[in-house]
Formats: sequence, C-alpha cells, structure tokens
Amino acid sequence: MDAIRRSLLGQMARLSAGAALMPFSSLAQAGINQQPARREGDPTKRYGMLIDLRQCIGCQACTVSCHIENAAPLGQFRTTVSQYEVQHQESGELATFMLPRLCNHCENPPCVPVCPVEATYQQQDGIVVVDSDRCVGCAYCVNACPYDARFINQRTQTADKCTFCAHRLEAGLLPACVESCVGGARVIGDMRDPQSQISRMIHEHRDALMVLQPEKNTLPQVFYLGMDERFTTRPKAEPVALEVLDPHGQEMGYEFHH
Amino acid sequence: MNSTIELLAPRYDIAWYPWAVQYFFMIAVSYASLWLAAPALVFGKKTWLPTARLALIACVSTTLVAPVALLADLHQPLRFWHFYAYANSHSWMSIGSVVLPLYLVSVLGLAWLAWRPALQAQCGTPGLGGMLATWLSLGSGTTPRAIVAVVGLAALGLSSGIMLYTGAELAIVKARPLWNTVWLPPMLATTGFIAASGLVLVLNRVSGLCSQTAIRQMLYVLLVACALAGLIALSWFLDGVNAHVGSVATALESVRHSASWRNTALWGGITGIALFAAVLYLLTRPTLRQPGPSGAPTSSQPALFAWAWLLGLVAIHMGWMFRWVVLMDVQHVARNSAGFHHYGIPAGSSGILGIVGTFGLWLAVILLIELFIPWRQAQQGGLIAMPTHAAQDASTHPLTAKKGASSHV
Repeated sequence: MDAIRRSLLGQMARLSAGAALMPFSSLAQAGINQQPARREGDPTKRYGMLIDLRQCIGCQACTVSCHIENAAPLGQFRTTVSQYEVQHQESGELATFMLPRLCNHCENPPCVPVCPVEATYQQQDGIVVVDSDRCVGCAYCVNACPYDARFINQRTQTADKCTFCAHRLEAGLLPACVESCVGGARVIGDMRDPQSQISRMIHEHRDALMVLQPEKNTLPQVFYLGMDERFTTRPKAEPVALEVLDPHGQEMGYEFHH
Repeated sequence: MNSTIELLAPRYDIAWYPWAVQYFFMIAVSYASLWLAAPALVFGKKTWLPTARLALIACVSTTLVAPVALLADLHQPLRFWHFYAYANSHSWMSIGSVVLPLYLVSVLGLAWLAWRPALQAQCGTPGLGGMLATWLSLGSGTTPRAIVAVVGLAALGLSSGIMLYTGAELAIVKARPLWNTVWLPPMLATTGFIAASGLVLVLNRVSGLCSQTAIRQMLYVLLVACALAGLIALSWFLDGVNAHVGSVATALESVRHSASWRNTALWGGITGIALFAAVLYLLTRPTLRQPGPSGAPTSSQPALFAWAWLLGLVAIHMGWMFRWVVLMDVQHVARNSAGFHHYGIPAGSSGILGIVGTFGLWLAVILLIELFIPWRQAQQGGLIAMPTHAAQDASTHPLTAKKGASSHV
C-alpha cells in the first residue's frame, strides 16, 4: 500500500468515532495498573536465572523434578522444555531447538497489579509468589501473564506458578530444576552479588543474552544464552499434536507425528 | 532456517470459563437497559415510559443474575469476601468489586421507587401478591419524583463505572493482544446497547405489551448502536492498517490461519450489516393511517413492526456472540506455542450447564417479577396510581393484548 493511501486511512482512523476515548486508555494503562509495593523476602538479594541453551539437551529432567518437588497436578507444569524441529532453508539440514520455559520473575510483572486481592505479589528479592490461602481463583493473573507461566491448580483451585523453589532457596538448596539439570544449563543466583556465578556470566555474555517477548516491557529476569531471536516471540511453527487418550477417554498426553 | 515444527508443548487450558461470557453479557444488558429506562424514569420523558417499563425489568433481572455468574467464574467462590478484606486499588477487577454491589443496590433502589406507587395500589388485594405488595411498598406515603431522579442519576453514574471497568479490565491485558486495544471497551458498550434494545423488543412481544412506541424507539437505538459498532470496528481496523497494532495484527493472523476464525469474522460482519439493514428498512416503511378504536383516524405503524422482536433476537445473539468470541475464542489463541488450543465446551457447570443455568436463573427472576410485581405500571414516583384500562388489559391477558393496545401507550 502506498504512503498516500496509508496516510489517508490514518486520517480516517483518527477522525472516526472514539478518538475522545483515548484518555480512558492512558488512565487504564497508567494510573490504576501500577505495581504494588514489594513485600517479604530478602531486600539485599535479586534472584534471576540464566539458561545456557548450548547445554540443554531437552531431557525434561527439570520438568519432571519440578513436577515432583512442587506436586503439580498431572498435565500442569511450572516449567517445561518446548522442543522444535527446525530445518535449514538451503541445506535441508535438521536440528532440534530446545527452549526451557518457566516464570520469568519479571521486574515489571503484569500478573501482580491485576490481582484483585494482592494474593500474588513480588518479594523484595524479586521472586513472584502466590499466597494460595488468599487467592480467590479469578484467573486474571493467568490471562495477564504473556508467558503462560501460570495456571489454575486443579487440586487447590488457586493460581499456581514457579517460585524459583523459594522454599528450597531459603533452606540453602538449589531449585529442583537447577539441581536436576544434567547439562548444568540452568544457573540461578543473586544478581546483586557480583561474585555469584550468574552475575559473572551476565557480565561475560551481556551482549548475547536474550529474554522472551522483550516488546511486552515486562523486563524478564530469566536470561537465555545461545538463543535464536526468532524464538523470543511466538514461534512461526507448525503444530503436530495429537491427544493420547486412555481406554476411559481420559487424556494421557500427546503424540506427535509429521 | 525456514521450516519449524513444534514437537513438544503442554496444553494450556482456558482460565476464564463461559461463566465470564454470561457475566459480561448480563452486566452489559443491565447497564444498557438502565440507560434505556432513564429517559422516562430519571428525566421524566413520558413518551419513553413503555420502553422504560420493559427496560427496567430487563435491567433488574440481569443485574440480579450477573453477579451470580461472576461468582461462579471464581475457582474459589466462597472466598469472595477476600475482595473486600484485601482490596487492591491497582487492579481493575478490585475496583469493579466495589462498583458492582453499589450499582446493584442503586438499580434495586431505582426499581423499587419506580414500582412503589403500583405496589401501593396493589396493597390489600387478596392472595400472595397483595401480601407481598403490602410488605414491599413500605407504607402509603408518596414517592417523591426528586428521589427517583437522584437514585436514577446515581445508578447511571455507577453504570458508567461498570462500563469502564469491564472494558478496561480486558483492554489492559497486554498478554492477550486481541484484548489490548482501546477500541474494545466502547465496542463492549455498543454491543451491550444492541443486546439490551433487542431484549426490550423481545420482552415487548412476549409480555404482550406490544407497544409500537417502544418498538420504534428501540429500532432507533439499534440503528445508532449498530452504526457506532461498525464505526468502532472500522476505526480499530484502520488503526491496524496504518501502523503495526498488536490487536489488529493478531486478528489478521488468526483469520489467515484458522478456518473457524474466518467463519466467525464473516458471521459477525454479515449479521451486523444484515441487522443494520433490516432495522433501517423497518424504520423507513411508510406509516399507515388506520381508524383508531374510537373511530377517529389515528396514526399507526407499519405492519412489519409486529416482527421487530425477531430482530431483537438477532440483536441479543450479536451481543452474546461478541462476548463469546472476545472472552472464549481469544483464549484459544496460543501465546507461546504454534497453532490454537482446542477447547471443547464441557457439558458440566463450567460449560453448557453453566450457560443454560444462567439463562434459566434469569428466566426465573423474570417470571417472579411478572408474578408479584406490577411492573407494567412503573412510573417516575408520584402518588398511588390506579392502573389504567390499557395496562390492566395487558396484565390480565398478556398474550392476547396485541396491536389494539398500541394506541393507548
């Protein structure tokens, strides 16, 4: 479409109904949807994670160990590893791309201000948690998270998500996914401590690190090393999924074919 | 790298169930019908009284049922008191939880004031209706018009709050690009007016009032609301053509890659245009001159007006389907994986039973009002009113009073 027509259409859009509604939009975006104050947690720390994709072999040990550690219901995950088969355009060469996903414990978490009862909040150490005794299960946070990192736990009927295994960190242990990672791809630590492994790696690879959906301005604190930029947003991929049902018609999992 | 196949991704369930559609539909019909009742009840325009009476029962019934659907959409409904114990002024939903009960009280207050003179007139009549009327009318004092107007204005103000919060609640969600547009709140409001005027048309027919004035007024409201909705949709689309706008880009992508989205877009567009055209056709029919009941010539309406309630059904369908697409279908668009999530509507309470149950509850409320409340005589306060002939005819023979009653109202 040529520039003149574009500009004409733009003028028409501005002239048409509802231009007066713009102030409502800024009110909705700014005034009300602000981050509430952080509470609890150690204010001297800021936890973050760095995932070295060059070390990830897609074994799903993190998925399984998290599932067991945090007793998530079957079919619901706090972390998973997405897997893609990619083909080189010219050579036809095939490769598998692995992308571990979990809560990004964003610096500007969109899930926190939407919570009508402040059941989900950000600790002073940056970890976003849910008080499941307070949560009303409205699922607003589930819709507000662009990373699909939240779900309504079928058993507790409240919002559930990755907590960086805050209960383990408190006890001086590593999160289950980090502990079980066979390639040592997941690195967690205090980013305020310049001597921590994560701080050193961030310093070393600063220019190569990427986050998911940076355009959403959520400022994720899970950094990917060895990432292909095309996977930072919803990948342009073809899904090949089939549901696998048991003899009673209950879903057991997926089978993939192509 | 060109071809990519996604091998492994978990299934993400939808987070808001059809209850949410029911809530957004009911509350939109509620606030829109309040505005349809306002010209007569709040601002004293007598020609709008037949419309106001119908709109008021539409408003009261949906206002009562909507919060039930909203509570049902919570996964922990018994914790609803947490909304007030731990209110979060940063959340639109929390703001809504304060506005909604105030709105409900103001609507019930307005309805009580509007129905009170007729309730007083019904006091002492034999049977349960008379007993209830005696109990509900709270004495025989007059109902000052000023109070009706003040409560009505408060309800209108609060209804604007509902309009704003229900729209903003969705529009701020950046994670769902299709919601994240400034055009969504006004579109929700206009489709709310489409559904509400449709409901008034249907109630006008089903109740037997068959007021021609109400039909004409509702057709005008439908015409304006349809035109506005079209204009809003066009503006939204032109915004996206002109520059990269997430919601338009996502919509185009969905329409390109999914047959069901293509069908939905086509269906919505065709229904909207057909509704607008049909309303315009009805309104431009020449008015026939017919002898009135007293023999003197009086103006009547085109015969086709008797079928306006069918357009009402289409209008209700539009209002409901828009919410279904916005709230349910949008949740199917995958955010981090390829393709669309599949969601079969379950038969149980988080699916079909919930949808049918909400409408059943609404019908029960309408029937209870019909049984015990002399809603056909609602007015803007005043003294104890004796029901007029026409109104009495209509209330005793709800399904037989047809065109004959039209000249009285």
